[in-house]
Amino acid sequence: MATRALLAAVSACPRRRMGIKSSTCSSSLQFQRQESRIIARSFSSYTNSSLPDISRLAETARISLTPAEIEECEPKIRQVIDWFGQLQQVDVNCVEPAIRAEMEGGNLREDAPQTFENRDSIRASIPSFDETYLKVPKVLNKE
Amino acid sequence: MSTTLFRTIQPNHFTLLTTALLRTRRTSRHISVRCQTSTTTQQSSSQQQQPRTSAPKNHGSNKLDEILKDYEAVIGIETHVQLSTSTKAFCSCPNSYGSHPNTSICPVCMGLPGALPVLSSKVVDFGVRLGLALNCSLSLKSKFDRKQYFYPDLPKGYQISQFDVPIASGGYVDVDIPLEFGGGHRRFGITRVHMEEDAGKLLHSDAGDYSQVDLNRAGVPLLEIVSEPDIRSGVEAAEYGSEMQRIVRYLGVSNGNMQEGSLRCDVNISIRPIGQAEFGTKVEIKNLNAFSAMSRAIDYEITRQALLYNQGQADQIVTETRLWDEGAQKTVTMRKKEGLADYRYFPEPDLPEVILTQEYVDSIRASLPELPEAKRRRYEAMGLGIQDVLFLANDVSVAEYFDEVIGKGADVKSAANWLMSDIAAYLKNEELSISDVKLTPQELAELIAAIKDETISGKIGKQILFELLAKGGTVQGMIKEKDLVQITDPVEIEKMIMKVISESPKQLEQYRSGKTKLQGFFTGQVMKMSKGKANPALLNKILLEKLNAKD
Repeated sequence: MATRALLAAVSACPRRRMGIKSSTCSSSLQFQRQESRIIARSFSSYTNSSLPDISRLAETARISLTPAEIEECEPKIRQVIDWFGQLQQVDVNCVEPAIRAEMEGGNLREDAPQTFENRDSIRASIPSFDETYLKVPKVLNKE
Repeated sequence: MSTTLFRTIQPNHFTLLTTALLRTRRTSRHISVRCQTSTTTQQSSSQQQQPRTSAPKNHGSNKLDEILKDYEAVIGIETHVQLSTSTKAFCSCPNSYGSHPNTSICPVCMGLPGALPVLSSKVVDFGVRLGLALNCSLSLKSKFDRKQYFYPDLPKGYQISQFDVPIASGGYVDVDIPLEFGGGHRRFGITRVHMEEDAGKLLHSDAGDYSQVDLNRAGVPLLEIVSEPDIRSGVEAAEYGSEMQRIVRYLGVSNGNMQEGSLRCDVNISIRPIGQAEFGTKVEIKNLNAFSAMSRAIDYEITRQALLYNQGQADQIVTETRLWDEGAQKTVTMRKKEGLADYRYFPEPDLPEVILTQEYVDSIRASLPELPEAKRRRYEAMGLGIQDVLFLANDVSVAEYFDEVIGKGADVKSAANWLMSDIAAYLKNEELSISDVKLTPQELAELIAAIKDETISGKIGKQILFELLAKGGTVQGMIKEKDLVQITDPVEIEKMIMKVISESPKQLEQYRSGKTKLQGFFTGQVMKMSKGKANPALLNKILLEKLNAKD
């Protein structure tokens, strides 16, 4: 359970920063057009000095943590973030940012419809299915 | 002074604002005059002559004009377009509106463990198409991200979208404001266009503490278009929305039906005192089902926010989402946002990059149809008035029909008139679209030519039009079959006139003693005798001669 929170925190880790100050609050997005063949992209949620608000993070991930667990988590999360933070020391000023890790793109599908044969077992496996619809608790507001 | 003005406003004046939309003169205390000139007058005792500023025209409401002297509305629109592909975005489930609930499902769109998404090539194609049509720069490399939140209609607990590298960005759209709202051209910036998937449909039942979910729609491909905050009024917003609809229909990427939900617009609006550089607090408005609703919601919201400003309560305007209540004609709080939502975006690990080659983009650009803006400018260059231009270019099928008709050589103005008046009326009555009529463009061109060279009269033309629309056939064939050729021989016409005159001595007497209106009677009689075929101009000329002769 704690590892899930860690994963959530790690995923919000600061990415490659090219000496550009990023904001400390919620996700900021800077997208600068190419001027000198290098596109500067910075999309970090947290600077080196601030940590994610663990209890808020746990809430958005729908993970319940007791205050004791939160206290326990914090240093561990800090450790992971610092560990990844080592990457910031690499000088990447002359390297074109990659969007993703792997190099191939593609793998597209034809726009030809196919009905999934076993829809009945999908519907049967839904605990709250009532003939036509999925029955769910009445939630009126999105997060 | 404007504060005193607002203190005299009774709450029910807000409903009066909406009746102003009907553009009729209000006979209550305030009279608003819609015109292109520079003054607006109202008969309230505290006001004098008001010079109109260069603020955008709205629905002739004085309240709004007053407000817009002090405040500027800053509006941006987010449009979600449901694509008319055959399959969903990331799986091969059929994408068809109206199927029985929860039948178009599979492990991928249901978010079952182990299922992996595979992007449809059609979605990329449509994305490039729309990006180019909106004059955007395309990202030759873009990616997908997970937008994470929990909601009953979102099976995976995240939506696959594009966060920081959308497929298209930095574009613009040109629109023409309809004449009744002031006319003129506007250009609105487009921040970005990106691909994403739709969520399922959530139905709230009044009874009980539960809701119902239909996942047929989960995974249906969407293109989200985000505009720059360049829009300044409800009228501009409605026209922006209409143009988005026009473009997606022209391109064939979506049927753009707001009622069906295949075109959804959310408005972001703030106001600021004129001259202030910083933006005011932004409010989001959802649940808009029509462009007119968008316009009214914006007008209402501008008024609401200005009122708070004027009462010194600007801090009451908070970042929130409000819903448009069509029944009450007002926006209502849905829920106050506690700061910005944290969607914890990260790149979708299950999908590779989307890579476009320049050749691919160029080939799509070459296959784009003529877009509404280009059509409007071309029609204007042909000499058509802006009213005609806006009508003809509004529906791509009508524009294509019109292009075919003039392609066969028909006179441009005549073709436009037929389409806008008689044919449009027929389509409206019969609830048909132009593609359903039996009258081919070729035959309409024939009809126009036949009237032009006076083979038949205009009136006869209108009569056979009706039959041609309903049953088809050829103009020449109908002329022969019904013997409709116009009588243009003056000798023959004179004969008929003399006959009518001799048969109506009483009316002749009355005419000669001053009742010149009776000319119409004679005209009618001759027309009847000739079965409508007498050339009207010739008839009247000769008739007048005969009636005024000394005989």
